[in-house]
Amino acid sequence: MLAQFIANGLVNGAIYSIVALGFSLIYNTTKIFHIAHASVYVFSSYIFYTFYRILNFPLIPSFALGLFSGVLLGIFMEILVYRPLFLKKASSGIALVSSIGINVFIVNLIALLYGNETKILFPGVQKTFQIGGVILTRIQVAEFVAFIIISFIYFLLLRITNFGKLIRAYANNPTLLSTFGIEDSHLRIWIFAVGSLFAGIASCLVAIDVGTDPNVGMPALLVSAVSMIIGGIGIFESAIIGGFLIGVLQSLVVWQISARWQEAITFALLIAFLLFRPQGILGRRKRIEEI
Amino acid sequence: MERRIALKVLNLTKSFGGLKAVDSVNLDFIEGRITGLIGPNGAGKTTIFNMISGFLIPDQGEIWLENKRIDGLKPWEVAKLGIGRLFQDVRVFRELSVLENVLLGVVDHPGEYPLNLFFIPKLVKKKESDILNKAREWIKFVGLEGKENLNAGSLSFGQQKLLALARLLIGEFKIILLDEPTAGVNPVMIKPLLDLIRRIPLTGRTIIFIEHNMNVVLNIANWVYFLDEGKVASFGLPQDVLGNPEVRRIYLGV
Amino acid sequence: MNYLLHILIMLCIYGILALSLNLLIGYAGLFSICHAAFYGIGAYASTLLMIKTGFNFFPALIGGTLASSLFALLIAYPSLRLRGDYFILATLGFQLIIYSILYNWVGLTRGPYGIPGIPRASLFGFEFDSIPLFLLLSSAIFLLVLFFVKRLYFSPFGRDLKAIREDEIAASALGKNLPLLKIWTFTIAGGLASISGSLYATYVTYIDPTSFTLDESIFLTAIVLVGGSGNMKGPLIGTLFMILLPEALRFLGLPDTVAPNVRQMIYGIFLIVLMRYRPQGIAGEFKFE
Repeated sequence: MLAQFIANGLVNGAIYSIVALGFSLIYNTTKIFHIAHASVYVFSSYIFYTFYRILNFPLIPSFALGLFSGVLLGIFMEILVYRPLFLKKASSGIALVSSIGINVFIVNLIALLYGNETKILFPGVQKTFQIGGVILTRIQVAEFVAFIIISFIYFLLLRITNFGKLIRAYANNPTLLSTFGIEDSHLRIWIFAVGSLFAGIASCLVAIDVGTDPNVGMPALLVSAVSMIIGGIGIFESAIIGGFLIGVLQSLVVWQISARWQEAITFALLIAFLLFRPQGILGRRKRIEEI
Repeated sequence: MERRIALKVLNLTKSFGGLKAVDSVNLDFIEGRITGLIGPNGAGKTTIFNMISGFLIPDQGEIWLENKRIDGLKPWEVAKLGIGRLFQDVRVFRELSVLENVLLGVVDHPGEYPLNLFFIPKLVKKKESDILNKAREWIKFVGLEGKENLNAGSLSFGQQKLLALARLLIGEFKIILLDEPTAGVNPVMIKPLLDLIRRIPLTGRTIIFIEHNMNVVLNIANWVYFLDEGKVASFGLPQDVLGNPEVRRIYLGV
Repeated sequence: MNYLLHILIMLCIYGILALSLNLLIGYAGLFSICHAAFYGIGAYASTLLMIKTGFNFFPALIGGTLASSLFALLIAYPSLRLRGDYFILATLGFQLIIYSILYNWVGLTRGPYGIPGIPRASLFGFEFDSIPLFLLLSSAIFLLVLFFVKRLYFSPFGRDLKAIREDEIAASALGKNLPLLKIWTFTIAGGLASISGSLYATYVTYIDPTSFTLDESIFLTAIVLVGGSGNMKGPLIGTLFMILLPEALRFLGLPDTVAPNVRQMIYGIFLIVLMRYRPQGIAGEFKFE
């Protein structure tokens, strides 16, 4: 029994990690608390749904188009909203509120166009695998596999490629990049592209599993933020630790207490970390000098 | 002549990541005097100020305000005990008016406590009109008369320093810490600023300042401590310390 | 006609919420997105006092205020230790935890089923059971709150808060006790918000957690940002604007099914445009910078 719950927790953790990786990529580099990541998340799944179920495109192209549209949306947000604020040297608070505005707009647009009901992409029961004493559906396995592939590629991207070096440099010291004559505007667009891609992958996989509705974005966003903080801000892959911790913790809460309290406990954990270990599990304590 | 030690620093030490910024420093600040802390950049002067005013906790050592130990207290507790500070980057409240800035210099006002606002409104009102008058006087004293309703942010840097001084003066602080008072000030404004500092009534007061401008030091200091690499390297009358060839070597590389 | 009176009642309720949130955001500079939590605590606390303990509206209102103020202490503590984004996140977490409790502690709050049959406000046997009478009550309470808040805004306390907002370090160097001031601000803001909660509960006579969600908190924060903060008129103008806007949309003949979504889309755009071109809002003093 415990094994089943842990397995479920790990699968959920895999999804959380994917979205969280995208969110933390954006935050670590641009310092933007990109709440609208939730919109990219839900938007991708709706485009996927539209092509697959409404326009009856085949599965893979629909999925790809869902991802692609999420990427476009993310890039759009950077170009239209965030970059002008960045050039004006606006504070992070302003970016955050703008992000909230974007999110409110897009989520309501989706609700307006599609209604509030859940859209199912795959009605009926899923085929399952049995691994040891644990039962997992096909899509759950796919989610976990996707996580492994993505995190591996992401790790290589960050640590080996030039692009990865640029990203890490930008995260460390944004101004340094410009002194080397590197255009940060292109880098930022790529950052939003990759971050949004991750969000899209997660939401489209989940859409295959349980469908989608206009309000799925916010919970995913919140879990991303909490994962990032628990894992440790500033270290790109640390969100994975956070994601899995929350996935498994929520599962254990469902098992031992009740499904209802998952969210509250997740946020209690967040506040505990904010107060007692703000640098997260992997982060190093930053010295805050008052003057 | 009575020499009361208003503020005493004993064996003060502070390190940052393995680097000793302040190393077993001993300082005596005599009441009624204007004492200068000088020394090359990084000598630890601002760190000492930070520890005195409660923004940093010393690793070792003690700070005594007369017979009360104050190291480790919070900044507002230190302020309420009578130690006021002028920051190097001034820190006026930019979006507030000049008048509001000065009013905020009053350290203890019954109106700061919401309960008092509703239970003893008359007392609050009286205090408010008192300090309003005082504020206007101090604004006049520093030469900013007529600018009471301007936003502090719209003043020039030198004028902001004057404002910060007025804010300090209304607070009736016994110890005033001035962190590089003339830094960044238009050379034209330095003399009026120094005249102002000299006109601050010194009865019961002690002024301690950090400065890099040697002329300023010679001009207003009664006593000087020369710090280098976190330690007190020399002290005494300004002309003696600054005349010391060792000091000149360290400071000016001559 | 009743419809118009209903709008005025809503203006009173939301006006109180805006004025109290302004104390946090516009005066102390504490950007909070958990105000709906206090609104909800007030509503539920006073409702439970009225229904389970038979309290009259007015004592229940005071009880709600006390409950809210106590909870405010819970979020005030993190506010002392956290800065910037971290603090906002903590308020977010607080909002979600409170919502979760309201929704899931079915034994206490009946969770999603809500609490029906809330008694109308009454004073010495006189019941405010019609809309015009209730408008009288809510306007009276609103005016009381308005005077109270005005006193605070223009007091040395209010001045200290503005100093904190501008520069905490300079403020503390001038003897301002930061933790005490912040705790007071949260306590007062939370307590006032709960007054709105009590009014709302006794007005609609049914409450459930869906009125006190994160979205509602964001809406309240938007009121203060759009109208402007840091002074008296900002929040009032913000309330007028944000409450009347959806009504204006209704007049344009927008069907009721889409109206809520369109309204949200409009205020989403508003936030974006405002932050870009006019961060101080319509009439605010504090440039949310």
